[in-house]
Amino acid sequence: MRSRILATLLTVALGATAAACGGDGSDGKDGAPLDAGTKVSITVGCMPAKSQEAQRKEWNEDVAAFQKLHPNITVEGKDAFPCIDPQTFQAKLAGGQMEDVFYVYFTDVKNIVAHGQAADITPYLGQVKQNANLDPTVAKVFEDRGKTYGLPRQNYTMGLFYNRTLFTKAGLDPDAPPKTWAEVRDAAKKISALGDGTVGYAELSAKNQGGWHFTTSLYSQGGSMVGPDGKKSAFDGPQGKAVLQNLKDMRWTDDSMGSKQLLVDADIQRMMASGKLGMYLGAPDNATALVDQFKGDYADYGMGPIPGGTGTLLGGDGYMFNPKASPEKIKAGLMWLDFYALTPGQGQLNYARAKTDGRPVGLPQPKLFGQNATGQKDRELRAASANLPVQNFKAYEDAYTSVPGKLEPPQAQQLYAILDSVVSAVLTRRDANIDQLLADARKKADTALARSGT
Amino acid sequence: MRRNLTAYGFLCGALICFAFFSWYPIVREVLLSFQQTNFVGDATWVGLDNFRTVVEDPVFVDAWVNTAIFTVLALVIGYVVPFAIAIVLNELKHARGYLRFVVYLPVMLPPAVAVLLFKWFYDPGPGLFNQILGFFQLPGLSWLDSTDTALVSLVLVSTWMNLGSGTLIYLAALQTIPGELYEAAELDGAGLFRRIRHITIPQTKLILLVMLLLQVIATMQVFIEPFLLTGGGPEDATVTVAYLMYQYAFNFTNFGGGGALGFMLMLVLMVFSVIYLRVSREEAR
Amino acid sequence: MSETRTLVSPHTLGTRRGRTVYWTVFTTVFVTFTFVFVFPLYWMVTGAMKSPDELADIPPSVFPHSFDLSGFREAWRQLDLGKYMWNTTLYAFGAWLFTLGVDVTAAYALSKLRPLLGRAILGMMLATLMIPPMVILLPAYLTVKDLPLLHVNLLNTPWAIWLPAAANGFNIFLLKRFFDSIPTELLDAAEVDGASPARILWSIVLPVSRPILGVVSIFTVVNVWRDFVWPLLVLPDTDRKTISVAISSLAVQVPQNVLIGSLVIASVPTIVVFFVFQRHIMAGLTAGGLKG
Repeated sequence: MRSRILATLLTVALGATAAACGGDGSDGKDGAPLDAGTKVSITVGCMPAKSQEAQRKEWNEDVAAFQKLHPNITVEGKDAFPCIDPQTFQAKLAGGQMEDVFYVYFTDVKNIVAHGQAADITPYLGQVKQNANLDPTVAKVFEDRGKTYGLPRQNYTMGLFYNRTLFTKAGLDPDAPPKTWAEVRDAAKKISALGDGTVGYAELSAKNQGGWHFTTSLYSQGGSMVGPDGKKSAFDGPQGKAVLQNLKDMRWTDDSMGSKQLLVDADIQRMMASGKLGMYLGAPDNATALVDQFKGDYADYGMGPIPGGTGTLLGGDGYMFNPKASPEKIKAGLMWLDFYALTPGQGQLNYARAKTDGRPVGLPQPKLFGQNATGQKDRELRAASANLPVQNFKAYEDAYTSVPGKLEPPQAQQLYAILDSVVSAVLTRRDANIDQLLADARKKADTALARSGT
Repeated sequence: MRRNLTAYGFLCGALICFAFFSWYPIVREVLLSFQQTNFVGDATWVGLDNFRTVVEDPVFVDAWVNTAIFTVLALVIGYVVPFAIAIVLNELKHARGYLRFVVYLPVMLPPAVAVLLFKWFYDPGPGLFNQILGFFQLPGLSWLDSTDTALVSLVLVSTWMNLGSGTLIYLAALQTIPGELYEAAELDGAGLFRRIRHITIPQTKLILLVMLLLQVIATMQVFIEPFLLTGGGPEDATVTVAYLMYQYAFNFTNFGGGGALGFMLMLVLMVFSVIYLRVSREEAR
Repeated sequence: MSETRTLVSPHTLGTRRGRTVYWTVFTTVFVTFTFVFVFPLYWMVTGAMKSPDELADIPPSVFPHSFDLSGFREAWRQLDLGKYMWNTTLYAFGAWLFTLGVDVTAAYALSKLRPLLGRAILGMMLATLMIPPMVILLPAYLTVKDLPLLHVNLLNTPWAIWLPAAANGFNIFLLKRFFDSIPTELLDAAEVDGASPARILWSIVLPVSRPILGVVSIFTVVNVWRDFVWPLLVLPDTDRKTISVAISSLAVQVPQNVLIGSLVIASVPTIVVFFVFQRHIMAGLTAGGLKG
């Protein structure tokens, strides 16, 4: 008798576990659209903060329009500025404090998936109308072993961001940004010769951002971060050495990189906005940050393709789903993303409204769609409402399709932390031994990659 | 019996708070260091794997060395200087209120503010420190941007914002020294420094010991300075054990590794505590 | 006030040479202190009044070119500092309430009621002083995330600040030592008159303990205001951050003068507290330092 009870209990327990685990397989989930009668409320990350008045207003309009369309769904935005605070992102993730639909950088996607911190949305993807039109390279970011875990919001490839005014002052042609690293070096020398604390070229070297930019530069030289199987690091080849040698020459031989190092992106933007910096590697939306936060002027900035042009880093951001979110919430969240992030002329892609609200239009970002009708429509709408000096970004945009965009490596944050130390060494120590640094970093990186493999 | 019940009634709030937020976490730290978890599934026991991971990490040794150097430097600057200041302040008869107020002022700033303020001062270009050096025709330093000076720069901030409390505590201790002792010593012909050595220091020995230990404990856990100023750089020159622990847990999502580091730090501090208890017991005898 | 004899005798000070040395030392100390401890603050306040361009000037201007308060205004508006001030006030107030409620009763029980195992409990509470919060950061964080037995998640709630603040061995130590010094006869008399322990605590012990209560209160409030890494972890929501955490993550996103303005604003409350309660704070330091 007793054992039978036990057996029953066990069966029930097992059944419950199986049901809980069923979430892993797509069989247990239904692909049917959300029933219009089901009331669902979802929290969504990265609502524009109060200080970003125009964007906030547009977000609220979008939510109102969406909820009118789907009266059963309530969208509750969570504002944050910045949307990801890298200091606490991982803590928030580990603490299970994420919104139902949470905001991520491409950088962290692989790790989040590996740790089971995001829900599998493959069964519901059929309902996302624009899914098929996404640029495959971008969509791939959220895929892992045939399953999909999120949708993109913004994407970019890195290029050379520069100050047109300083180019003119230094006798350089602002319409012909440097195309090779040798030209960058030369231009940096001329710009820093202007004196008065002017820095020719700046590079990040703290808070994992040094590693992130090293990766970009490495791609531009044709190098790779990891081997084809992703189990061994590969950044210590001739390309990696060239990247560091170039930095070393600019920093110590030419003294064109300023003396303040351990910079993070906001430091560089502050330097750029105050007109003290010539060039750095960045994405087009840097212009928005420079103008909105640091009171810069759009006319000062321009962008060219990444020097070297052999490859560049493809980055961006998007949304993933809390692993605890119910299928209803996921369905509702996907409908919201479809509406807000992925439909030309709507939500974030409503360029006409952005123009009326006095927001900048015309930056070559995001480029979410492939070479199809939707992509075509998006580009046309953006061009029609452009209010920026778009020609300043023409050199970058023209090269967009010809420079292959590469994704970030696995264990990105850990590799970046390791390379931070390499980049900061080169920028702060005159006698830094590049070969030695790379060899040490390789050892650390291989250990980190091997550990994650188990 | 009744008295006990009432007493535990009064104690229960504190017992609950301590149990949840002090005692249990101490136990949990030990457990954590032998487990691996991603918080979605259950934690698994991994034996010594976490310890192996962190010990094999090349930064591990750096972190301990940096923490040790930081602690020693902070002791040299942050322990001797406040005592010297206190001795001098105790002799001054003018502007006493002002001087005491001013020395404690930085302690009242939120540490995050003090640290961010110094980050700006350390700017090798228009930052305050290099400008002052320049004013005296001295060459500027790289401060945070060099492996040679980064750690010292962290110690400087830390000392600036903590100096005041040590000074005031010593000052209070100095005021309890009976004046007759100095008078007698002087009659014996003891000079200034001999009086300091034979009266001031022995008379304040206990407080000096207590402060020494408290300071070691405080500096062993240095975190906010590397976190906000350098991110551990350049070249991991400012990675401390506490910072590495945070990195493991919240940047590499490896709570087990972080727990192992925390556990080791706890053991080291326990050794200091035992020494402290020994010393203070001997003193009491 | 009659001066007590210190290291240097009044006689030596009275001599001509003594006076010269005294005034030299005094002037040096006065100038150095002002320069080391006050000047950085002056630099901070005036820095917020300079434009980003002026801040980049080499050599820097000692007086700002214009008395421009827009740095402060922008910091207040752009970073929404009012909200974070309010948050921090709320956390500090709650922590104060809990600390007093929990620690005073506990110290009273340990000092005057002396229950079974009281000494052991006191010992365990004081032992936590040897293990600083940073060391148990991860397990404490995990505890708050999922409270054992109750399985409540306190993250993003004020409780995550309030309750751990009450688990403070130092407060227990200070309070118990003060209560120990209250003569037992006083309490015994009241007990004979039939007063309950609660009544005795409220009407006899607390009124005479005002100085120590003041010290504990101020330190609790100031500690919440100064704390960084704990609120950074347990209050990840932007809307709930404390002022220290908020400026550290938000202020990097704004121009330099606005950043400095936010630093000034964030330090005003604690500096004001210091101005007002200077005497209590210093008394408290001494009380804490002279233990042993």
